Amino acid sequence: MSQFKDYYQFAHPTRVVAGRGMIEGVGFEFAKEGAKRPLIVTDGILLETGLVAKVEQGLADGALEPAAVFSEIAQDSSAVTVAACAEAAKEAGADSFLAVGGGSVMDTAKAANAVFTHGGSLLDYEGIYALPREDEGMGAPLAVAPLACIPTTAGTGSEVSFGAVIKDSERREKILIADFPLFPRLAILDPESTRTLPAALAAATGMDAMTHAIEGYTGPLWSPHGEAFALQALRMMRDNLPAAVEDPSNEEARGNMLVAASLAIVPGAGGTSGLGAAHSMSHPAGAMYGVPHGVANSINLPHVIRFNAAGGPEIADRYRDVAESLGAEAGGSDADVGGSLAGWVGELTTRMGLPQRLSEVGVPEEGIADLVEGAMGDGCSLTNARELVPEDFEELYRQAL
Amino acid sequence: MAYFSSDQEVYDTIGKLIQQLGEDEELAPKFRKANTIIQYSFRDPDSVITTRLQEGQPSQVDFGETEMEPEVQMSMDADTAHRFWLGKVNVTVALARGQIKAKGPVPKILKLVPLTKPVYPRYKAMLEADGKTELVNVA
Repeated sequence: MSQFKDYYQFAHPTRVVAGRGMIEGVGFEFAKEGAKRPLIVTDGILLETGLVAKVEQGLADGALEPAAVFSEIAQDSSAVTVAACAEAAKEAGADSFLAVGGGSVMDTAKAANAVFTHGGSLLDYEGIYALPREDEGMGAPLAVAPLACIPTTAGTGSEVSFGAVIKDSERREKILIADFPLFPRLAILDPESTRTLPAALAAATGMDAMTHAIEGYTGPLWSPHGEAFALQALRMMRDNLPAAVEDPSNEEARGNMLVAASLAIVPGAGGTSGLGAAHSMSHPAGAMYGVPHGVANSINLPHVIRFNAAGGPEIADRYRDVAESLGAEAGGSDADVGGSLAGWVGELTTRMGLPQRLSEVGVPEEGIADLVEGAMGDGCSLTNARELVPEDFEELYRQAL
Repeated sequence: MAYFSSDQEVYDTIGKLIQQLGEDEELAPKFRKANTIIQYSFRDPDSVITTRLQEGQPSQVDFGETEMEPEVQMSMDADTAHRFWLGKVNVTVALARGQIKAKGPVPKILKLVPLTKPVYPRYKAMLEADGKTELVNVA
């Protein structure tokens, strides 16, 4: 029986609307959140796919009038883009935000909403619980304008999380803002939004989602609420991730992957348990060598699983639960379960055509020392299932290289 | 009841520890890798400690008003800070609960957390050496 935790909190204030054809009803749904003139936030590629036009039609059908479309968002958003987005909302007389895109788009909309509502600049709100509050900062956080998200990848989960990560080009660092008002009011999960997602991107973002669920479930700050989300997410990924990648016309699998990704983020980055060492390793690999986040997680995850599962019976048991949910071999010793689960993940990513080694995606051996320093300084290291020292990360990077 | 009755008591204990860390030959260079200026704003009693952790710069710790411009601001009860330096606070939980509020580039602070472990027994020893044993055995 699981122990009763000394502490955990759980929050899931985002209303999720999932189903086929839900984009057509976006106006009807977003009006319930008080939106009248949303600024549509998206990127140039999605603008060309015709998805944004469908969203605009969906808004009009619900008697909402799009204030404008802001589409100047690169793969990595920036503080400058956030300021421009907030300014665009003001100039267009918007009263709300509707993000249509992947993590970068959704995070930009979240951050721009804070600046739009409270003024100032993004850096004024950098941190954890740094948004304005009543009672000299000790009371309830002040609300921001309504935000709805239509994710176009099944990976990041930003549509139901309270954090946003934005690149600061000047400081060459990522800016984190996390606070309860940043939870989107509404997330619309419609397989139409991932219809044009390339298979390689579906595989990489799907592995990002799987890493969220596994690290959220196995970390020391696990919670019963988080467990429910993580294990169901893993079961849905087992049944749908390969199908969504191998047959992009499989609407059923794509829709289920959108749901799975939005479940997977909740234990780790929904204000509860945090993530783990695969993310700690992937963040510097992305910052230093431009390795796409999902690809890096996919490569690092099996090595971290082996390492963590050897950390004692309690940790191994949690990996056993993960293995059972994914349909991997869950019996045997603690080392066995780590090895079999890692092997299962490796077989899956190979089958989906993802790179297997960091050296395949541009990471050189001489970069390991800097990567180790970056991983040790990453917040996810503090919530990994096992405590790590620099030598552990060095070994993990060498295995992944 | 709060552990400290005045801002001076905070400076004489937590402040003294932070001053010592700034001069420590082994730990100070590691802390300076954070390359930042941190300000701790404590409540109950109200007190402020600002510390410079910058490579190539001498250690500087100010109590109360300061001319340093902090990049990271951490606010918490003085009791929480005291319990942290005794090794009794999980920082990630405290951040999640809002017991510690962090404004600015939080990763710079999280990077320092693993470095603080060797400091816990040192803080305890410092309190005992100063005759403040009532501050050692806290929940």
